[in-house]
Amino acid sequence: MRDVPKIVLKRLQETEAAGAHPDADLLTAFAEQSLIQSERARVMEHLAHCSDCREVVAFALPATETVAVAASDNLARARWLSWPVLRWSVAIAGMIVITSIGIVQYRQRQKSDALVASLNQRNETAATEEQALPPSPPASEPQGNLLQTEKEMQEQLKRKALSSQADNLLLDRLVRPVNPTSPAASAMHRPPSRSATGGSVRVGVAGGAAPKAALSSPRDTFAVAGDSKNAMSAAAAKPAPSSSARQVVKVPPSSQTLEVAQSEAAPAAGTTPNQASDQLVEKEKDQALQYQYSIRSESNEAKNRATPQAGSGGASAPAPVPPKFAEAPALMQHTSPQWSISADGTLQRSLDAGKTWMDVNVNSEPVSGRSNAAITAESSYGHENRKKKVEAQPRPVFRAVSAQGAEVWAGGSSAMLYHSTDSGTHWTRVLPASAAATLTGDIVSIEFFDSQHGRIATSAGEVWITSDDGQTWRRQ
Amino acid sequence: MSATIPISAPVQSAVAELLGELYAKSGCEKFGLTCEHFAAILGSVATKCLPAEASESEARKFLLTLHVDELALARACAAGDNSAWEIFLTRYREKLYQAALRIAREDSSARELADSLYAELYGTSTREGERVSKLDSFTGRGSLEGWLRTVLAQEFVNRYRRMKRLVSLDEEIEDGTQFAAPEQEPVSSADPRLESSIDAALAALSSEDRLVLAEYYLDRRTLAEIARILGVHESTVSRKLDKLAKSLRKKILADMTRRGIDRREAEERLEVDVRDLRVNIRRSLGQESPSAAFLEKENTVNFQQKIAPRAKG
Repeated sequence: MRDVPKIVLKRLQETEAAGAHPDADLLTAFAEQSLIQSERARVMEHLAHCSDCREVVAFALPATETVAVAASDNLARARWLSWPVLRWSVAIAGMIVITSIGIVQYRQRQKSDALVASLNQRNETAATEEQALPPSPPASEPQGNLLQTEKEMQEQLKRKALSSQADNLLLDRLVRPVNPTSPAASAMHRPPSRSATGGSVRVGVAGGAAPKAALSSPRDTFAVAGDSKNAMSAAAAKPAPSSSARQVVKVPPSSQTLEVAQSEAAPAAGTTPNQASDQLVEKEKDQALQYQYSIRSESNEAKNRATPQAGSGGASAPAPVPPKFAEAPALMQHTSPQWSISADGTLQRSLDAGKTWMDVNVNSEPVSGRSNAAITAESSYGHENRKKKVEAQPRPVFRAVSAQGAEVWAGGSSAMLYHSTDSGTHWTRVLPASAAATLTGDIVSIEFFDSQHGRIATSAGEVWITSDDGQTWRRQ
Repeated sequence: MSATIPISAPVQSAVAELLGELYAKSGCEKFGLTCEHFAAILGSVATKCLPAEASESEARKFLLTLHVDELALARACAAGDNSAWEIFLTRYREKLYQAALRIAREDSSARELADSLYAELYGTSTREGERVSKLDSFTGRGSLEGWLRTVLAQEFVNRYRRMKRLVSLDEEIEDGTQFAAPEQEPVSSADPRLESSIDAALAALSSEDRLVLAEYYLDRRTLAEIARILGVHESTVSRKLDKLAKSLRKKILADMTRRGIDRREAEERLEVDVRDLRVNIRRSLGQESPSAAFLEKENTVNFQQKIAPRAKG
């Protein structure tokens, strides 16, 4: 690398021409860096040409400085292990955990994808959405003594957790930087990872939201607990009581209905989040892990108490297939979500190998009551590549669904095509279009051969294919 | 003593201005140094070290940087004050021996080296019938300890030369010359164009760059040592070396191209000559060489290369 031709070195040596040597005083002062600039330059010039004086200076270097240098090296190394660095290593560790969970999940889903089975009808999504609204305001009251900023953050978070996939991306972006600051992050990832075997569609979200919850509020923790529970997971903390299990089965996986469960649970546990929030505010972040666990168990209790309410609230929506509570967790651990279209064109998902089916709402914005403009803006933020922005839609009538791991495509009447990259938690509408044409008519079949390559047939006889996960389309 | 040197007016006024402060700081009275004597010392030091045209403010700045307490101690020792010597010995005897041991790497020669320095410090050599202590030449610009180490190192290098090569005694005795400057050896090379290209490139180097090059490639010092000598960080030295090696090669090649040598040929010549030279150098590093002066020089370098790693510890 830094080889200098020998002839150059030889010339360097041969052109050494030293005049009068600087005296010991000057050399000492030079080595101690106490010469003024002009004098230093003069000594330097001499040293550059005089190997003897270089020798003297080198010999005269103080021995103690070796020790000092070594000590400062140690100090530097110790600093290397200090907090700023650790923080980033925690961040990296968190990323690795998330990535490995994703890989494990993906493989397991691939195995059981072929099992997509029968149709089931349940159509109360709209009803639960409406129910979700009233309980929300009281739910935020117990947080009165949280810091104002935290409240705002929660509000934001809550809204974001609710709707489009674009929001999900935003959330992820928010969450990722927060991740490392919470030692709870990796711990909170564990329950979802167990539920991975249950084919949890929500693990990504739950894992992503968990660290945030650890930092912000017990209410978000409820959301997380609800999430992971919903996905399966009771085994994580303690064996789920049957009431809890019922809750699990009854709560459809859409964000709105989750919100129902949360908001019902929150008033019931009114005092608990209060205390918990006090704790969170008072204690150091690195203690958040313990509290996280305590909150989780508290939320379990809260859920149990809330079950009657939830039961009455959800009574209008009886599950078509009576859930077998005892078996459900075990079964869920071995399956991944299955997809189906009901007779009236509702997209449905089963997390327990077809025993129960839950409607999936692909347009999940009305609950938060936000304007369509906001949704559109956020959607375009997250999905600049999408051909068309998501807008408030009438509920689409689906005709076809195709799932490859977490990638789900669903299509139906009037060119409705929805895409989810997280097993149906968040959806984006996609409008296949090429330079010359746009997909028209009803979508009658969707075939995805892998996560990237897919084929769509329409009632108009058009066939559209994509080879980049729906980013671009080509009409055949 | 050196008080006979004429002291310039700005220096004199600076000394007068700062004398009280410095005198108190130096603790001269302990060693029986009078204020006047100390003023004379300061004046001579400033005159010796400052350029003749130095302004008063420069002189003041200079005086304030001096290690006046050590200067006072050294000069008191030189003057033969017993209490000063006591202090000097308690403070520096052990350090001096440790420094000698580090330089000589061996107990007996370290003791010998240290003892010979004591003799010089105490002033065995006489000039014009007067006992002259080496401590008289200490000006307080660096620390006394650093100065002692430097003097030891000079002594050691001189001895080594004396052993390896007959240095003219006059050269050594010459005032202000600690050891002889190496002689220029006759230059012999295949291609004068190549050589002048290299020389031009080397001459264009700043003295610091050249010093780093020489320290690293000729003296085989470690990056850490060079960094300590220059008072910079090791990585700075490393970067500088990388940059230097690259730019040197580039400059030389460019220069040769300008002199009408094809680029590829120039590169080849640079490399081919290396191989030739390495053999030559190695042979001259051995024993037989037509050029006696060159042999001496190379031996010195060889010695340095051998002791450099040891000196590191």
